[in-house]
Amino acid sequence: MMDGTCPLALLAAGTEAKVADIRAGKGMQARLFGMGFCPDARVKVQCADRGSIIVSVGDARYALSRGIAMKILVGCAKETA
Amino acid sequence: MKREIRIALTGNPNVGKTTLFNALTGSRQHVGNWPGVTVEKKTGKASRNGCEFEVVDLPGTYSLTAYSADEVVARDFILDEKPDVVVQVVDATNLERNLYLTTQLAELRTPIVVALNMADMAEAQGDPIDYRRLSAFLEIPVVRTVGTRGEGLQDLLDAAIREAETSPHHEHTIGYGNEVETLIATLVDALRTDADLSGRYPLRWLAVKLLEGDENVLAMVRGGAAFPRVEGVLSSIDADEYEAAMADKRYEAISAVLPQVRKASFREMSPSDMVDRVVTDRYLGIPIFLALMWGAFELTFTVATPFMTAIDTVVAWLAEFVAGSIEPAWLASLLGDGIIGGVGSVLIFLPNIFILFLILAILEDSGYLARAAFIMDRPLYALGLPGKSFVPMLVGFGCNVPAIMATRSIEGEKDRLLTILVNPFMSCSARLPVYILFAGVFFPEQAGSVVFFLYVLGIAVAIASAKLFRSTILPGEASPFVMEMPPYRIPTAKTALLHMWSRGSMYIRKAGTIILAGVLVVWVLASFPFGVEYGGAESFAGMIGHVLEPLVAPLGFDWKVAVALIFGFIAKEIVVGSLGTLYGTGEETLPTALLADPGLSAATALALMVFVLLYTPCVAALGVIRKETGSWKWTGFSVAYGLVVAWILAFVVGHGAGLFMGGM
Amino acid sequence: MSDTAKLVFGAVLGVLYLVIGLLQMVGAVVGPLPGLDALSLTGNLFGGFVLLVVGAVFIAGVRKLAAGSGEGAIFVSVGFLLSVAFGLVELLALCALGLDAYLVGEWAEWSVADAVNPLLYLAVLGAVGFLAWGRTFLRGLTAA
Repeated sequence: MMDGTCPLALLAAGTEAKVADIRAGKGMQARLFGMGFCPDARVKVQCADRGSIIVSVGDARYALSRGIAMKILVGCAKETA
Repeated sequence: MKREIRIALTGNPNVGKTTLFNALTGSRQHVGNWPGVTVEKKTGKASRNGCEFEVVDLPGTYSLTAYSADEVVARDFILDEKPDVVVQVVDATNLERNLYLTTQLAELRTPIVVALNMADMAEAQGDPIDYRRLSAFLEIPVVRTVGTRGEGLQDLLDAAIREAETSPHHEHTIGYGNEVETLIATLVDALRTDADLSGRYPLRWLAVKLLEGDENVLAMVRGGAAFPRVEGVLSSIDADEYEAAMADKRYEAISAVLPQVRKASFREMSPSDMVDRVVTDRYLGIPIFLALMWGAFELTFTVATPFMTAIDTVVAWLAEFVAGSIEPAWLASLLGDGIIGGVGSVLIFLPNIFILFLILAILEDSGYLARAAFIMDRPLYALGLPGKSFVPMLVGFGCNVPAIMATRSIEGEKDRLLTILVNPFMSCSARLPVYILFAGVFFPEQAGSVVFFLYVLGIAVAIASAKLFRSTILPGEASPFVMEMPPYRIPTAKTALLHMWSRGSMYIRKAGTIILAGVLVVWVLASFPFGVEYGGAESFAGMIGHVLEPLVAPLGFDWKVAVALIFGFIAKEIVVGSLGTLYGTGEETLPTALLADPGLSAATALALMVFVLLYTPCVAALGVIRKETGSWKWTGFSVAYGLVVAWILAFVVGHGAGLFMGGM
Repeated sequence: MSDTAKLVFGAVLGVLYLVIGLLQMVGAVVGPLPGLDALSLTGNLFGGFVLLVVGAVFIAGVRKLAAGSGEGAIFVSVGFLLSVAFGLVELLALCALGLDAYLVGEWAEWSVADAVNPLLYLAVLGAVGFLAWGRTFLRGLTAA
């Protein structure tokens, strides 16, 4: 069902995707889980103009630096407007 | 029958926890620090049906791992202090993520009550939550609350009473699937052999945390009777994999419940997202931010003017009244010159500070401040500062004391220290009177530009220092930026005012005590040995000035300036008043006296302003630096670094300007 | 139809803000410009910058609207919001300075006419737009 994964940081604004894997360090990983980034969670990139991106997951919006967004792998097959 | 119930208030950040806490406890609260860490500890009292409640506001956390000081504080409190009831404040508009924390709390086997907060917003969005069904599914009491309007508080306390009196507590936890459950069972068996641990902590929770690779928990187990067996189990598995799988199971359990308690409603684009499109726009984002900041400062400085005039009038009248009507003369001098004059010169900035705090509270409550941190993250990151450091920097223009306290929101220890160390270079409003005096006297045509130059110089020194510290004493990069963007809300007057008051009153108390003490020292130095002219050359202050004169002579300063600078250490605006005393004139005729002094040229005045801008933080600021860094070493460093930088730059600017204007 | 009206209104406001902002910034740098007394420019460089920013938000919205992008309407609405917000800032500042003049006894020399500036009178237009279109937008925001 998922033919490839790519880092969340590389998605364009407005793209929706499903989280595949998280490869962050111990503490950061647990924190990301708590924030709602866990495998199979649906995320949507709201804004990708700057050094950080704004991502929505569920009803929450987070600003993530690209460094962290690189560690969140998403299935990059689907694209919606 | 009177009962004492201890409630711990927990929840994710931005769920209205503090608002609910304020609504529950009103003015009956106490703010302190958690032992050992600079995380604020708020406790308060409430009562209901003959029960007295002690409410402890735990720091907001996303989960109960041990990632940040906040999380450790929250977790340790629940585990070690064993409050009677844990109330989790849940954002009704953001149920999924909030319930993740609930699943973790449930594993701690502590009595829980869920406060479904901001329920009105969820309802207004057309997404009401069936909290009775939610309660049935979770097997945890769920109470509908609206913190901003104080709705549901009684129900919440009633539920807390019931939970505190019910025992024993059933355990409702997530099942992690056969494979994980087997491991958990093995670990629980092993842990049972450690009598010390099993008496204090729920074994299932310990086992779950061990599987997740929690280092704090591992450290607790290490060395105990159970450790060999536990290590045997852990070494046979890949903990990373389990952590993700278990988080997954928790969310799975949550998403099974959610459709049962609310209509799934997916909106294309919320109004909040729409506003974000504009204010985080690639080109317009930063200009809008700068324009809003200009508005904030315009308000801070203009709206405060009449209040400052009023305070000034009252203080001057009081000082005169005391000086004229109290005997003996030395007591009148102590009260009038010392206490009223000194404390008054600080009091006059209260309007500025309160208005700045009010504006910040409005910006914060509306949700814009999080966007501003997002916008500023990149430019600040390039300087080695975290995006979150921008609020403290901004507050620094008002006063460095609350600015340094505001660094608490910065997570990395190094990032925080760096922000604290460069903060004093942001020109606080106390330095403005000095600029106004000297720029007005020596640069009457370009006074505005001179003052602007000083502000820019302060920012430039802060930036250069940040760069310098990053490459020397605090190596590394700013920690990665993770910040929640709460939805925009219209701030209510009540919460904004409360917010302002809680920060502002802290400033009054902290600064007030230190400044009062400092002012007394200045008065003693200026008045003794007995019988000298107040602040004259023969007073202790004058003697110190003469001793220090050689040090500042290369900058073109004489002993009077040296004394004024020492007094400015108490609070920088005192420099103006001290010079007035030392020149033996009032503040009104001081400009003429300064112009008439052959030792003071325009270039020297410029050097003096630069020096006042950069030299040592004032006593109040140092007090907070000591408190926030917990180290005399860094506090001393801050003084030494400031003095050195001030001396060098004042020398360069003074002599540089002297070349152009002559007469250094 | 509402979008067309918004487009025209936003364009007019955007141009006004930009032109007056530009004039004020030029005036702040080279000194008071002759023949522009009616505009009550303040010679405040940063005030001019703020005018430009508000104008830019309007124009960005109008351009997007003209290009058929629904997002444009949001820019114009935020423009109204900013216009009103800065108008309030100036209004509060004006009241404060008046009160101060009264306190220090210079009440006689103080006049509202001296204190009027572009951010203040342009906000009247902004408020019209805000009342016409912005309120529903703002209500959506409260609920968010």
